Amino acid sequence: MADLSKLHDAILTGDSKTAVAVTKEALAENADPMELVTKYMVPAMDEVGRRFECEEYFVPELLLAARAMKGSLELIRPLLVERGAEPAGRVVIGTVKGDLHDIGKNLVASMLEGGGFEVIDLGTDVAPDKFVQAVKDRNANIVCLSALLTVTMPSMKTTIEALRTAGVRDQVKVMVGGAPVTQQYASDIGADGYGDNANEAVRLARALVAT
Amino acid sequence: MTSKERTLAALNHKEPDRLPVDFGSTAVTGIHVSCVAALRGRYGLEKRPVKVHEPYQMLGLVENDLKEAMGLDVNGVFGRKTLFGFPNENWKPWRMDDGLEILVPDAFRVTKDANGDTLIYPEGDLTAPPSGRMPKGGYFFDTVIRQEPIDEERLDPEDNLEEFGPLSAADLAHYASCVREASSSGRAVMLGMSGTAFGDIALVPAPFLKRPKGIRDVAEWYMTTCARREYVHSIFSRQCEIAIGNLQKLHEAVGNAVDAVFLCGTDFGTQSSSFCSKETFNELWFPYYKQVNGWIHKHTTWKTFKHSCGSVDRFIPSFIEAGFDILNPVQCSAANMGAGHLKSAYGDRLVFWGGGIDTQKVLPFGTPEEVRAQVLERCEIFSKNGGFVFNSIHNIQARTPVENIIAMIDAIHEFNGARAPAA
Repeated sequence: MADLSKLHDAILTGDSKTAVAVTKEALAENADPMELVTKYMVPAMDEVGRRFECEEYFVPELLLAARAMKGSLELIRPLLVERGAEPAGRVVIGTVKGDLHDIGKNLVASMLEGGGFEVIDLGTDVAPDKFVQAVKDRNANIVCLSALLTVTMPSMKTTIEALRTAGVRDQVKVMVGGAPVTQQYASDIGADGYGDNANEAVRLARALVAT
Repeated sequence: MTSKERTLAALNHKEPDRLPVDFGSTAVTGIHVSCVAALRGRYGLEKRPVKVHEPYQMLGLVENDLKEAMGLDVNGVFGRKTLFGFPNENWKPWRMDDGLEILVPDAFRVTKDANGDTLIYPEGDLTAPPSGRMPKGGYFFDTVIRQEPIDEERLDPEDNLEEFGPLSAADLAHYASCVREASSSGRAVMLGMSGTAFGDIALVPAPFLKRPKGIRDVAEWYMTTCARREYVHSIFSRQCEIAIGNLQKLHEAVGNAVDAVFLCGTDFGTQSSSFCSKETFNELWFPYYKQVNGWIHKHTTWKTFKHSCGSVDRFIPSFIEAGFDILNPVQCSAANMGAGHLKSAYGDRLVFWGGGIDTQKVLPFGTPEEVRAQVLERCEIFSKNGGFVFNSIHNIQARTPVENIIAMIDAIHEFNGARAPAA
């Protein structure tokens, strides 16, 4: 019988091998995939986020935990799709046009996935129309924009305008983040939320989908 | 005082006759080529395309006429090869996507991909996979990650040591010649050392190597500092050994004509936190920093310069204990990095080379008056009892309005009580 607490602990400690092994064992025993997500994966990632916010964990630990979580989720996801399980929200995320930086964006994407969201990661250097298309194609309700450079921050505003022009602005909540981005800037460009770390992004996303 | 005397006074925590100023002496205290061009125009200097001496960040060479116009006190000495592994020689014209005509080294060889992005190649070798990408319409390159699949059982630290080796005769001759020239102007001399950056994330992907092996992916490297510490120690200990051998040869070649040496650009801070705990820093990095600084302080008169972006307050006592004399860029916009706190807590033991103006908001997006106000405030805080060399917080980025850069320079001169040069 799979010891599911080991799945939780493996994600928490960034042990990909154990996370995958326990998940395989559990699924072979017909464990409920949704239960694996809600009772073990999400709480593990919530604890990872908590530790990151109080500076017990740092970027390396987050990356390791995210990798372990993804290993497990890769096995679980097809079963969730099969059963028509609804995610907490559908997030389109990307680093904006002209910007190639992705570590922060990847961390936010991982934390959101670990938090039960479906994440459509468009990568880096993403043009506004790609965000628009992804929102339409995947019926997203959250858009996350990342920028690390002062010269690419304006692409955030351009992207929000593109969402408006395409008639999908009201369908989504837009969250922004990245080192030079501030709450003031988020307000100035009409974003719905700003977070200065990956864990805050999850809290914000949960709050925004509830509104 | 001469510029050298002024800078040395500041480095020795004595008040100089006026604040020493650096722009362009290192790859982290520079100016984007477009802004150098704009400054040359504003100061009415000879019209000629600007050389890009640091192609990764597209930093423009600040030549002597511009240094005179701006009132700069430090000359930089750089290694023989750029971050893409080719030398700065045989300059040729190149045009940025926005139309700016510049000069680049002959081995700056690029192609455009289907998106219109510019790809650059290690050592200028177009047959090797590209190692840098500048997005279409962009202003500098990011490294292209070339990570071979990792076989945990076969990981070999030697693969991450390929780039570390003894300085060649050509390297030493280059440094000696450049230091002689840099010293002749009366300015202070800052030397950019190679091989002493431990786990600098700009260098881990090895954009200068044609086919790097080992751990070269940025995220994988960060995870390695957590999950493969012995591997990191193996790299750092061997790297340290090589570095000390090189420092010895370098000192024999250039002597004490060098005033400061830029040792390491590894970033330990983020905007709101850090990349690791103090305990991890002390375990993984501190021993090697201590050895390198120890050798330098025992055998030379050089001051040692540590660059780290982000919130690094928690590491500063360790930086000081490891022997670093200078901190850069002094990112006051990051958490717990307020100028007043830094000066009062560490100003008697650490020189702040940077911190003069915020480059995330004020310099690029503020008004000239806001720039002036912040410069005056930072100069007032940091300059007491020396220990401050004015620089912006990291390189001046592309698209920074030239009016704001001029406002910054004028404010420095205002603080120094001198009449600003005509601009």
